[in-house]
Amino acid sequence: MDFFRKTLDPVFALAAIAILDIFLFLLLGAWTVGGGETMMTGLMAQAVLGEDLMRIPFWNIVFPPHADYWKIYISFGMFFGAFVGAVLSKEFYWRLPRRASEWLMITLGGLLMGFGIRLAYICNVSTFFGLIPEMNMGGYLAISGILAGAWVGSLIYKKILEG
Amino acid sequence: MTPVVECLVAFLFGSVVGLLMQRSRFCNTAALRDAIMFKTYRNTKAMLMAMMILTVGFTGFMSLGAGHPMRFDVGLNTFAGLFLFGIGMVLAGACTVSTWVKTGEGNLGALWALLFTFVGMFLFSVVWSWNWWPPAPQSMTGEPNLPALQLGFANAQTLQEKLGVPAIVFGLVQFAVLLAIYRAILRRERAQHAKHEQHQMEAAGQEA
Repeated sequence: MDFFRKTLDPVFALAAIAILDIFLFLLLGAWTVGGGETMMTGLMAQAVLGEDLMRIPFWNIVFPPHADYWKIYISFGMFFGAFVGAVLSKEFYWRLPRRASEWLMITLGGLLMGFGIRLAYICNVSTFFGLIPEMNMGGYLAISGILAGAWVGSLIYKKILEG
Repeated sequence: MTPVVECLVAFLFGSVVGLLMQRSRFCNTAALRDAIMFKTYRNTKAMLMAMMILTVGFTGFMSLGAGHPMRFDVGLNTFAGLFLFGIGMVLAGACTVSTWVKTGEGNLGALWALLFTFVGMFLFSVVWSWNWWPPAPQSMTGEPNLPALQLGFANAQTLQEKLGVPAIVFGLVQFAVLLAIYRAILRRERAQHAKHEQHQMEAAGQEA
């Protein structure tokens, strides 16, 4: 099947995702990532800390952990869809960063993404595919922040790559 | 809709998104990073296309009072959070979506980034429990709250309510701006292509 042999034009792929996202907006809300991950963090922390987790007010007030939160399943779906796509197109193989500097960058990058999402209440998906199309004031604040951050990130990235 | 049906709809949506992302190699991080660092726009064009369709779709349905727009107060934390996120995604080489997609392809570095995203979120939960900022959803009013550095809430629907102009009108203005950016990118790509061809012809001429 050609779909699993050739790379799909991303403009076509994103147009299809946008049309599906309109249906999701009508049913549940726009495509978003970050809320599901926060809930997963809460559930994992609860599994480790038990009732002690509730001594951290954030998990009582802002995000009480619930496994039936729909946003969690968008993320699991993305993992599953990508896995199926990679296996059927014979593109699944284990990959590991080789250099210590790469490990450092992804560790720091992951930490900043997680902290940033919770500080803003949103991530890049909600910015570009939720708030901006809803013309939410927060979308314009967020896009200014992410462009400035990506620019600073690119400077750091170049510096590390150039040694 | 029951929570189980909601979760099933979300999983189905996510699965199609994951498949399309994997097959198209689309990456949101690359859409910004490549435009800034390498002046290439493959992913940027796709992102703009989705934003154009969504702007018309969302504001169109919001004019009719349909859909579920996000509702929470925004402020300095929105800018600052996405600023940190922007640095993080370039360093990690992936955003939250592509960490899931790349993990699905067997990339253990992406899984590592995802694990540290969880750690970052947990760290934030501890910091929030100490300074209680930004305000919790329960204390959001939708109005500006300057001592808490909050601007309140506004979107195409609130504009419609305040000004009596349908949300789709504002949406069409935003669509025109996005389309202008998209066309500027196409023009830039054509100019890059013409320059590249000219260089090749000059190189071929020198060899001959």
